[in-house]
Amino acid sequence: MKEKISALMDGDLAIEDAEYLMKAVKTDGEVAGSWSTYHLIGDVMRGNHVLRHDMTASIMREIAKQPTVLAPKASLSVNKPMIWSVAASVAALFFVGMVVLNQQSQEANLVPIEIAQNVPSEYLLAHQSMSPSNAAYFIQPAAFVQDK
Amino acid sequence: MFKKRLFLTIVFCLLSLQVGSAFAGQDDAWLTLQKASQAARELSYKGVFVYQSGSITKSVQLTHMSYGQGEYARMVVLDGAPREVLSQGADVVIFSPKNEKMMIEKKRGQNMFPALLPSNMDAIRISYQAQSGTIERIGGRDAFVITLTPRDQMRYGYRFWVDKEYGLLLKVTTLSEQGEALEQISFNQLTWMDGQNMDWFKPKFDPSKSYVMDQEGPAKANTSEMDWEVSQLPAGYRKVDLVKQPVQGKVAPVTQIIFSDGLASISVFIEPLAKGARSKVGHTAVGATNFYALVHDGHQVMVVGEVPEAAVTQFANAVTFKNKK
Repeated sequence: MKEKISALMDGDLAIEDAEYLMKAVKTDGEVAGSWSTYHLIGDVMRGNHVLRHDMTASIMREIAKQPTVLAPKASLSVNKPMIWSVAASVAALFFVGMVVLNQQSQEANLVPIEIAQNVPSEYLLAHQSMSPSNAAYFIQPAAFVQDK
Repeated sequence: MFKKRLFLTIVFCLLSLQVGSAFAGQDDAWLTLQKASQAARELSYKGVFVYQSGSITKSVQLTHMSYGQGEYARMVVLDGAPREVLSQGADVVIFSPKNEKMMIEKKRGQNMFPALLPSNMDAIRISYQAQSGTIERIGGRDAFVITLTPRDQMRYGYRFWVDKEYGLLLKVTTLSEQGEALEQISFNQLTWMDGQNMDWFKPKFDPSKSYVMDQEGPAKANTSEMDWEVSQLPAGYRKVDLVKQPVQGKVAPVTQIIFSDGLASISVFIEPLAKGARSKVGHTAVGATNFYALVHDGHQVMVVGEVPEAAVTQFANAVTFKNKK
């Protein structure tokens, strides 16, 4: 059973042939466990590190929502033009924003920041995380500057 | 008359004791520190220590166990934002909740309290002078007091309180040039652990929370790709690492060189000044940490360290560019 689940997830087993597997995932606790574990392993291997402590519950919920008929959904192309026009206006806004921002920062460039007025805590954090003996980093990373 | 003679005799005895201990003191003091370095790593203990720096005070619960060939520790920050640190050998993992999620950060091993002293004392003997003092009581235990005085202005002094019986470091203060305490870590409760039960070695956090691995870490950098160096290091300091480090608010990672004299450490950050970015200049200090920033050849130079102002200034000015036009 575990090999079948693994094959299904790797795409080696056609989903049409796996209806019995889906049923097993829904009913059998042990199979559901392997399903969850394989997904977790897959996520880690692909470098997707957003791990959830217990994925089983949410996966089972998703499975329960799915219709038993394993047919692809109808195309959503009707909505596409709308999406593109929204995307275009967002891009336009972003462009205008960038121009304004650039102008502002070029003016500001003339005046260097006195660090006495503005403690560079971002560097402190980087320093503490690397220095060979540093109690502060494990206890109170850089926030202790912002507290001031 | 008799009283006066007795008094003089006592004074004389005390004086000769002082002179005698001053000569024997140096080596004894180093030996005690060597023992403290070993004890912190080899003993199994449990306690609460308090960390103080500037206006900040934090209590931390520490459990440390020497198990088989390995060393295991768990630190739980008891005040303010929850934070837990688990370490096994050289691997350190930090757990801290952030907006409904649990951040997990993996770090390289560092010398953590009470294992703050390097395992080899020779490296710090050239930078500091050691002196044994009296015996004081810390957290209910008798401790030898040992003061390290810097041989130049490039580092702070330190005072160590070392357990008389087991040699564990009980308290340490960082001392300014004027002898004021800048930073302090001290056990206020300590017990020894028996047995090999490892049940305590796990983080205690809500398991229903999502976990996020912090991917942003430093990458090793190469000396060959650098067009600058820090020349004429102050005596006692040596380069311990060179990395490209992500810095908050920066688009590209910043090159960072870490220097250490065995106790004090200094980071030198260098990056080309981005167009439109404001440069940073000047000096500032927070607790024991000094900052010095300057602009050199179109680069932002930033020096940060738990060292006096003179040291960060000297490091910042020691940066030279190889291909000067």
